[in-house]
Amino acid sequence: MTILRAQGISKRYGGLLALSEVDVTVEDNEFVALIGPNGAGKSTLLNVLTGLASPTTGTIELAGQPVTKASTHARIRAGLGRTFQHGRLFDRLSVLENVMVGAANRPGRSEAQLEAAARESLARMGLAHLAPLPVSSLTYGNRRMVELTRALAGGPRVLLLDEPAAGLNSGEVEDLMARLRAIRAEHRLAVVLIEHNMGMVMRLAERIAVLNFGRKIAEGTPAAIQTDPAVLEAYLGSGSSYAAR
Amino acid sequence: MALRALALAAFLAIGFALSLSVSEYSLRLLNLAAISATAVIGLNFAFGYAGLISLGHSAFMGLGAYILAILTTQAGWSPWLAALPAILGTGLAAILIGVPLLRLKGHYLALATLGLNVSFGIVAANWIEVTGGTNGISKIPGVSVLGHSLEGERPFLWLALVVIAVLAVAASLIQRSRYGRAMMAVRDDETAAAMTGINVTATKVAAFALSAVYAAVAGCLFAAHVHFISPDDFNFAHSITFLSMLIVGGEGTIAGAIIGAVLLTFLPEWLRVLGESYLAFFGLMMLAILIFMPTGIVGLLSRLRRPARSEAPAALVAPGEGARP
Repeated sequence: MTILRAQGISKRYGGLLALSEVDVTVEDNEFVALIGPNGAGKSTLLNVLTGLASPTTGTIELAGQPVTKASTHARIRAGLGRTFQHGRLFDRLSVLENVMVGAANRPGRSEAQLEAAARESLARMGLAHLAPLPVSSLTYGNRRMVELTRALAGGPRVLLLDEPAAGLNSGEVEDLMARLRAIRAEHRLAVVLIEHNMGMVMRLAERIAVLNFGRKIAEGTPAAIQTDPAVLEAYLGSGSSYAAR
Repeated sequence: MALRALALAAFLAIGFALSLSVSEYSLRLLNLAAISATAVIGLNFAFGYAGLISLGHSAFMGLGAYILAILTTQAGWSPWLAALPAILGTGLAAILIGVPLLRLKGHYLALATLGLNVSFGIVAANWIEVTGGTNGISKIPGVSVLGHSLEGERPFLWLALVVIAVLAVAASLIQRSRYGRAMMAVRDDETAAAMTGINVTATKVAAFALSAVYAAVAGCLFAAHVHFISPDDFNFAHSITFLSMLIVGGEGTIAGAIIGAVLLTFLPEWLRVLGESYLAFFGLMMLAILIFMPTGIVGLLSRLRRPARSEAPAALVAPGEGARP
């Protein structure tokens, strides 16, 4: 079944058309990557999907329900989750409390159940030892892992990850990939990944959509995308213009 | 948990000991400090937790005081009964005002709440048939418990201590619940808070209304203690004083709210020798606190405690105030 469906999404900022007639569908339990050069509209698309920006045209459905006009928190409660490009934690709360805020997204839990759920989420991510620390004491890599844990604690059915590997060292990227695989083995969860690290995208994604100048120029399996002429042109420039430089 | 119970017991013990030992004049100041502390614990919800700069806190205290004063003097209600509509009505007013007002942020919100406070004073001074205008409302009855009148400074302080204890416990429970965490999450990062499923607008309005409810309790205490209220008792200068108390004591902490309220009530008396230059001293002191100890007295105390802990490995360091489950 289709868990997330966005159709004909356009987003105009004044004279700039940041997104033009973009269709995105994500099936239950699927791993989709969204790639494209800088400024292609990837983050704008995530903002539209999460309700931080409203689309100029187009409709969005989450688990079959229309959410085009829904507020961000209503979409999160309906099963959406997201992390940010640079990791946004609540700096005055501890690691455990940050994850408890995420866990509170699932209704009807007592404080004790919230804490137990948050500790379990942290343990699954191998972060149990960080629980009592203030988030200001975390390394950049751990901040991003805690943010991911917080999003997972909310029990999303679709998780949108905005460049989760940016700023991580190669060991941390390997760790992140292992965690993402483990998460998908444990939870029934679809993932939409925005990422510039092509090695990571090609190894994890089942399907890749490519954006350029606000349009979707290609979509397919990693193998098909790697040889798609439109994608090669977007990333490398066309033969003639490349030669002309 | 045990630490908080200990702090509560210490607070009540010190308050009770002071009530038996100090002069009548100091008792009066302690009562004023207790009334301010009630308001400042409330302001902590809006400013300390949710990060909403409110310079209109005094207006909500005034609204509570006026409702109680009008119902007791004109309708003949008992103060206990009149306190209910005073507190709930003020909370409701804060919700109605908060929904449009809390779209504003930072200094825009500060200025808008300041305007609210000024407007309240103008209405209170000119709606003469209801509020008595600048003459205010006098002969507000005092409170009694089980037939024992709480007239006099000492019994009133006992009542105030109990009220503060109850409200402080309630504030502590809220702070450590999902609602308190939601307020702090909204203050730290609104977008990220929404992205964890928090209704940011509702959380802000709730924090604002809760702070107004505490202010209304303070207003009721004030009216029942002084027996007379006028618009000047609730002008915006008092709102700024409440904010100063919270910042000096330590925003985000209940102990800080109480310490700040007591300190800034007594400081003008202790520094009476400075005469007119007191305000200059006060201004410089506020500057120094904002620059050198932005987390207030409570923040300074916990920073002084920390060096003893730093010998433990980082992961085993006892959690800070915000980290305790």
